[in-house]
Amino acid sequence: MGTLDFLINGFSVALQWHNLLFAFFGVLIGTAVGVLPGIGPMSGVALLIPISSTLTGGLGAEDAAVSSIILLAGVYYGAMYGGSTTSILLNTPGESSSVMTTLDGYQMAKQGRAGAALAISAIGSFIAGLFSLVGLILLAQPLSEIALRFGPPEYFSLMLLGLAAVSGLAGKSMTKALIMTVFGLLLATIGMDNVSGVARFTYDIPVLYNGLEFLTVSVGLFALGEVFKTILHKEANEGTIAKITRIIPTKQDMKDSAGPIARGSLLGFFLGVLPGAGATLASFFSYVMEKKISKNPEKFGKGAIEGVASPETANNAAAGGAMIPLLTLGIPGSGTTAILMGAFIMFNIQPGPLLFEEHPQVAWGLIASMFVGNVMLLILNLPLVRIFAQIIATPPKYLIPLIVAFSVFGVYAVQVTTFDLVLLLACGVVGYFLASNDFPLPPLVLGLVLGPMIENNMRRALTASNGDYMIFLQKPVSAVFLIASLLWLVIPLVLKWKGKKVDITESM
Amino acid sequence: MLKKKSWAMVLLTGILSLSLTACGGGGGTAPATSDPKPAENKASAPKEEAKPAPAPAPTSTYPEKPITVIAPSGAGGGLDIASRTMIKALADTGLVKQSMSVENKPGGGQAVGLAEFVTKDPKNEHKLNVMSPPLIINNLRKEGNSPHSFRDMTPLARLYSDYEVIAVKSESKYQDLKSLMDDIEANPDKVTVVGGSGPGSQDHLNVMFLADAVGIEPKSIKYISYDGGGEAMTALLGDNGDVLTSDTAGLGDFVKAGKVRVLGVSAPERLDGEFKDIPTYKEQGFDVEYYNWRGVFGVKDMSPEVVKYWDETLKSLSGSEEWKKVGETSGWVPGHLGAEEFKAFLEEQETMFKKILESLEMLK
Repeated sequence: MGTLDFLINGFSVALQWHNLLFAFFGVLIGTAVGVLPGIGPMSGVALLIPISSTLTGGLGAEDAAVSSIILLAGVYYGAMYGGSTTSILLNTPGESSSVMTTLDGYQMAKQGRAGAALAISAIGSFIAGLFSLVGLILLAQPLSEIALRFGPPEYFSLMLLGLAAVSGLAGKSMTKALIMTVFGLLLATIGMDNVSGVARFTYDIPVLYNGLEFLTVSVGLFALGEVFKTILHKEANEGTIAKITRIIPTKQDMKDSAGPIARGSLLGFFLGVLPGAGATLASFFSYVMEKKISKNPEKFGKGAIEGVASPETANNAAAGGAMIPLLTLGIPGSGTTAILMGAFIMFNIQPGPLLFEEHPQVAWGLIASMFVGNVMLLILNLPLVRIFAQIIATPPKYLIPLIVAFSVFGVYAVQVTTFDLVLLLACGVVGYFLASNDFPLPPLVLGLVLGPMIENNMRRALTASNGDYMIFLQKPVSAVFLIASLLWLVIPLVLKWKGKKVDITESM
Repeated sequence: MLKKKSWAMVLLTGILSLSLTACGGGGGTAPATSDPKPAENKASAPKEEAKPAPAPAPTSTYPEKPITVIAPSGAGGGLDIASRTMIKALADTGLVKQSMSVENKPGGGQAVGLAEFVTKDPKNEHKLNVMSPPLIINNLRKEGNSPHSFRDMTPLARLYSDYEVIAVKSESKYQDLKSLMDDIEANPDKVTVVGGSGPGSQDHLNVMFLADAVGIEPKSIKYISYDGGGEAMTALLGDNGDVLTSDTAGLGDFVKAGKVRVLGVSAPERLDGEFKDIPTYKEQGFDVEYYNWRGVFGVKDMSPEVVKYWDETLKSLSGSEEWKKVGETSGWVPGHLGAEEFKAFLEEQETMFKKILESLEMLK
């Protein structure tokens, strides 16, 4: 079979010693990038592009391209791996797709199970990486066709479902979750409107034209909010540092995670194929799904290992899925793949419909190196778990300044404006008050991330249909999503309305 | 125990090396300092044979200090790549001996970077700014107005241009611009135009200029903006749009693969290479020329000697083999204009944009 030959050929490229070295440095730097908040995978890859071209300068054109892209792709998925670390240990999500990991990951860390949480996210990521790789090899062509068919109405309805789902997930009060969702959507309207070019709520301040930076808001809400809480409440009874009982997940942990990892891989891969919000939606959906089908949904948010395994698996699988539109259509599905595409173009290789024909060595070499990189990441990360897990054992008086420093540094690095620092502080205060009054934060973050996309896609759909709202129901895929999101919001209400009896049987 | 230590070392080294680059990017001094050190030049091996372009006669000792180039886009953005390519080429050709670095000032669709350049340290002759048409558009339009114009800087050179195109899916019934524009005129509701940037920006105005040229009310055109050219292409291929307005970058492969047909290009004459068979707008009777230029600017009060230095240096750069090679690999069309001509060109551009924005009711 042709594919197999190409794959073997790809491995012979990826296993050349210098490419192994590039892959290794890629994943190593990527892991570090992921661990440090602020330098997300996107800026990590962008910063390394000039370095990679210098490093590979001595090679021929095609070889240099393969090696550089192997290095950069290594940074990409290394960062996806590493991103979970700060979410779990410091409650500081480095990117939107690891917001969900903080919910149970940080709780696990507080209970002294940081090791298990880190290990399971490494294992889950590894499996997801392999799964999406196989998917990439087998399904690239048909899936890219499906991704093409996904137009504005479909995106709008899918994202609406995402918001509905996350509103149903959080805490005790659905009303509070909905309030937070709307709050997030409102914040998302700040900035230059992409469809009409109108500036909204910017008050002629140029830094506001691009809207509020997601990272600033989420780091403020989660990390600084937690810092304020620790300082103000002193946590007298929790003063004793959680002892790290064990590093390796228990047998029970592994058993509990098997299902979430399998489902997360599948869901993540397919959502990742859709350009746009793939990884973020994937992590939110998979978390919500696990909570819904779990026998003990009340465990979630209090340190359930499933709550770490599923979003971490899903966002890594999505990273693999996102390579499909990039390689087969030349359409970057995320900010990071857009920069990777820039790197391809720099080497005069155009990702797109002709990539596999014109540069098979590059395409298949990259695919094979993703396999190699994933194995390296697992080998690299499992021993690191032991070291990282010690961080949580740091006494709060050292840990808190560390978190503050990381947050400030990370946020400032993105846009280099002091405005973001003020915003960070404000979000920290808001986050503290919201969290201590039991308002869930993830819906706010998701609202902020999805807000512009929902709005733009809705308006694109309506422009195309000349203002006819029926377009959302006429497209079958869109209609299914809409009905699902309606049910998501209505069913709990109906159950509640019918009385407690139903509620109890439901939760049993 | 020993093993643990060594892992810690590996990690530490990783983090350290990373934070070095990161601090560079974050702190302002950019990572891609192309100090022309011999080690860095190893990349361009044939440098020995390539005759270094004649350096301009040193009338003064300028530049005395390292030069900073402000790129009003994030790392990896279009103007960032333009800036980094320029300083690398200037170092490789030996035209500038001082070290040069890029500082990223993203945000506000170039407005943040521009404001920073104009207002902060306005006497500093050792900093440059690289910008493109939004410089003019942002200053003219009503929404998101940027108070600064090119008159607050000294235009030094237009580096290169790329052009806009109109394309359709290969299954589309449209074979030329005329039939398309006739259809739009008859039924503006029926034809959906998709592009990768918002209203009042390149992709949008490309169609509007065409409409305006044949007397179609620009506002009547059904334009849908996507977040970037890739997304717009997806919309075209997935039948969520009928017509694509885009720059030439990245389009070539879709043409070669037979998925897309380009109906016209905004260049004054036919392009070379993969677009050589595409007729221009003018050939098809549309009096429109549209450039997506990249230009270099200095601070407003630049002394005449320094302006002369950059005028000549950038002219030599455009003529050099290195720059030609860069152009070939990046798909840029060389379109060098010297300081004086560039300034006149900017005036022309301003009049042109003013007119179209007025008809769209987007003028300030």
